[in-house]
Amino acid sequence: MSMMHASGVKDAMTTTAVPPTASLMRWVIAATLPGIATMSYFFGLGVISNVLLAAAFGVALEAAVLRLRQRPIRVALDDSSALLTGVLLGTSLPPASPWWLIGVGMIAAIVVAKQLYGGLGHNPFNPAMVGYALLLVSFPTYMTLWAPPQEMLPNDLWAQITGTLPTTQLDSLSGATPLDAFKHKGNAVLASEFWAANPLPNGTLTAWQWVALAWLAGGGVLMAKRIISWHIPIAMLGSLVLLATLFYLSAPSHFASPLFHLLTGATLFGAFFIATDPVSAATSQRGKLIYGAGIGALVIIIRTFGGYPDAVAFAVLLMNLCVPLLDLYSVPQPTGQQKASPGKPGEQP
Amino acid sequence: MSNAFDFPGGIYPPERKQRSNQSALIEAPLPSRVTLPLQQHSGQPATPCVAQGDTVKVGSVIAKREGMVSSALHASISGTVGEVSTTQISIDGDGQDAWLRLPPLEWQYAEPHALLERLNESGIVGLGGAGFPAHIKARVVERHTIDTLVINAAECEPYITADDLTLRHYANEVLEGAQITAKLCGAQHIVIGIEDNKPEAIDALKQALTNSQPVPVELTVIATRYPSGGERQLIKKLLDLNVPSGGLPADVGVLCHNPGTLLAILHAVRDGQPLVSRTVTLTGEAITQPGNRWVRLGTSVRELLEQTGLNTSELHQVIQGGPMMGTPLLTLDTPVTKLTNCLIAATLEELPPPPAESPCIRCGECESVCPVALLPQQLHWYARAQDDAKLERYHLFDCIECGACSYVCPSHIPLVVDYREAKSRIRLQRIEATKAEHAKHRFEFRQARLAREEAEKQARKQARQAQQRRPSNTAATNSEKVDLRGLRIAHAAAKASVKKAEKTLARVAQEDPKQSLDDLEMQLATAQENLKAAELQLAQAREQQSSEESS
Repeated sequence: MSMMHASGVKDAMTTTAVPPTASLMRWVIAATLPGIATMSYFFGLGVISNVLLAAAFGVALEAAVLRLRQRPIRVALDDSSALLTGVLLGTSLPPASPWWLIGVGMIAAIVVAKQLYGGLGHNPFNPAMVGYALLLVSFPTYMTLWAPPQEMLPNDLWAQITGTLPTTQLDSLSGATPLDAFKHKGNAVLASEFWAANPLPNGTLTAWQWVALAWLAGGGVLMAKRIISWHIPIAMLGSLVLLATLFYLSAPSHFASPLFHLLTGATLFGAFFIATDPVSAATSQRGKLIYGAGIGALVIIIRTFGGYPDAVAFAVLLMNLCVPLLDLYSVPQPTGQQKASPGKPGEQP
Repeated sequence: MSNAFDFPGGIYPPERKQRSNQSALIEAPLPSRVTLPLQQHSGQPATPCVAQGDTVKVGSVIAKREGMVSSALHASISGTVGEVSTTQISIDGDGQDAWLRLPPLEWQYAEPHALLERLNESGIVGLGGAGFPAHIKARVVERHTIDTLVINAAECEPYITADDLTLRHYANEVLEGAQITAKLCGAQHIVIGIEDNKPEAIDALKQALTNSQPVPVELTVIATRYPSGGERQLIKKLLDLNVPSGGLPADVGVLCHNPGTLLAILHAVRDGQPLVSRTVTLTGEAITQPGNRWVRLGTSVRELLEQTGLNTSELHQVIQGGPMMGTPLLTLDTPVTKLTNCLIAATLEELPPPPAESPCIRCGECESVCPVALLPQQLHWYARAQDDAKLERYHLFDCIECGACSYVCPSHIPLVVDYREAKSRIRLQRIEATKAEHAKHRFEFRQARLAREEAEKQARKQARQAQQRRPSNTAATNSEKVDLRGLRIAHAAAKASVKKAEKTLARVAQEDPKQSLDDLEMQLATAQENLKAAELQLAQAREQQSSEESS
């Protein structure tokens, strides 16, 4: 009948408790700020417009669906989870994405992936990644439009956001991401030759590495504050580095180095901000380790052998699919129980 | 003196023990009237054996033990019996405080059965909060070998300091009580488990340790962490033994007692004083003189709190027990019982109600604090869905209801409330299920009895016929083919099923002394009836065959 609650005591000698759900979400949002700031520094204000638009769509759509479902709107909005989904999807999209693209992505994320499954705590898939995956397969032209590092205020920013820029001009804006370029270097080209040819616009690789480090900083804060547990990020990065190293050692001229995999694309962002979404992740600690390791392995496999240059969204969604099974087979053994696997029937006394 | 063994999980709530451990343990004023509930222990309620108007002394038996798991009840003040109802007995005091004591026993020389009987007639129950009758607990040696007696002085819940103060004042007496209990259960070791936040009690114990005879006593100071005072958790921590799920500490050769209970045992044996008072921690921000008191059972909670300076305007709720596992009192006009170890008169700021519940986001924090290594959020999920099969698969009944998961839940979900509801629902279903089983077994028993009677009738009839027939020496019986082999097989099978029923009964009685054995007794009786019938039929067939052969 616990009358004492961690959030209600101020005199605890050792604070081990996590903050309440709502402030948990806000902490995660706050931890994205270094990443967003660094991205904006390198890729312009289009990053911020993405985030703001997606967040606004997120809150508006959540409120609208809650109204249709006749659920209390205020309480649900207060938990900031829709805001967080918006921020995460916004940062995943190419800078200065048109408003309608963001809108379609957020409808998939909030309405379909989250609310249609019952709202916060009930969605089997990571909402932001459902939105991202839908956009990636439906609008590949727009989703691969990563501009090279540029001015804070690009010339066509407004036209891009409003979607009024002629399609002919879109291509001229685009520059390959490091993962993109490496993916399409062709089998005949050796890795050393590829790098020697200076394949990327100036400063691209540096920009991506700085952004990755900014995500690492934000994620480190979340782990230190015990907002996220270490299991998923460490397992994911561990298996990713391990697999990348194995490939790299087997044929260094053919495969990318583990460091390249770690510091480009969405690896660190995904490890700390996407894979750690507790709702769609495995629940037990052992399950989380398997879940994280699975994501890391899938990222490398899809990046190396699959059709897409980056793979965090697909890897997370695929592992989301495995969560019910992981939960069933990763139940810890309660003290005093001889054996414990609820997956195996007929062991009850 | 830390050690390597540990239980998983655990939390560090604020201790708030300073409020009540600063003053000495003193006697509360003698109440002018007491109300004694008939059920102050686990098991069956006691049966009143006094009537309105009877004069009683302190220690007079007013209600007797009913059934095996139950406990006697004694008058806690001298005076006149007021009302006797089906649930409680009230006594109006005469202010004399005249005692009726049992003759003192020298425990070193007394027979074990005399000591056991003394515990029984003194109404001693576990004073840690569960209230299991001490004489039943002591009888565990009939089925198990006990190696170690654990004194559970961890007292891990915030606020409570009753054991702490008991040990500071009565360390020698508690150890003597432990020696009595060790003698009763044949324990070779006594281990005291105490959290490191009670330095005065630890010092007192260290002093007392050297004089304690004859069983060696070991003091183990453990780090303060909730719920280290859970029986299973403490045994794991002190001895690195895992009490099996659904089993008792006795299954791993351990008996666990609380210091207050051991002191009460000593008082009952050495002084002949039955259980009529106990130490109660009175604490909380809404009283001005917190501390521990010797309180006569049946004293009104309101009276007690008012004596310690209750500030009614500040009072938000009174909690009986600790803030983690205790229950809020609905009314202050309720008596102190054998189970009341602590009363917290809390203000609103002190123990605020949790904020409104929000959806579970599966963060897993509950899992990391669970001392039993369960998956509280999965249990929450299935408890809300009333998926009982899943609940049992996720070991709901291993939950000790410590409340650590509720304490840390960022969504403020009252997890333990859900688990308790689910548990009582499933228990109810089990009782219903066994009812149907029991009826089936009764029917089977009746069938078996009728079959046996029929077989007897046949046997008599045949005997009569044989007597009449023998002189005439007829060949008519030859046509009846006797299936001797089939009957022999049936007889062997019936014999085996009797053996099996006997074994099951013995095993269940040993495993769980609380279990009702009616149904198993019935099944055994059925098997015995079947065996009798089979024996008769076989004997009859043999008779017939031999008569044929001789003819």
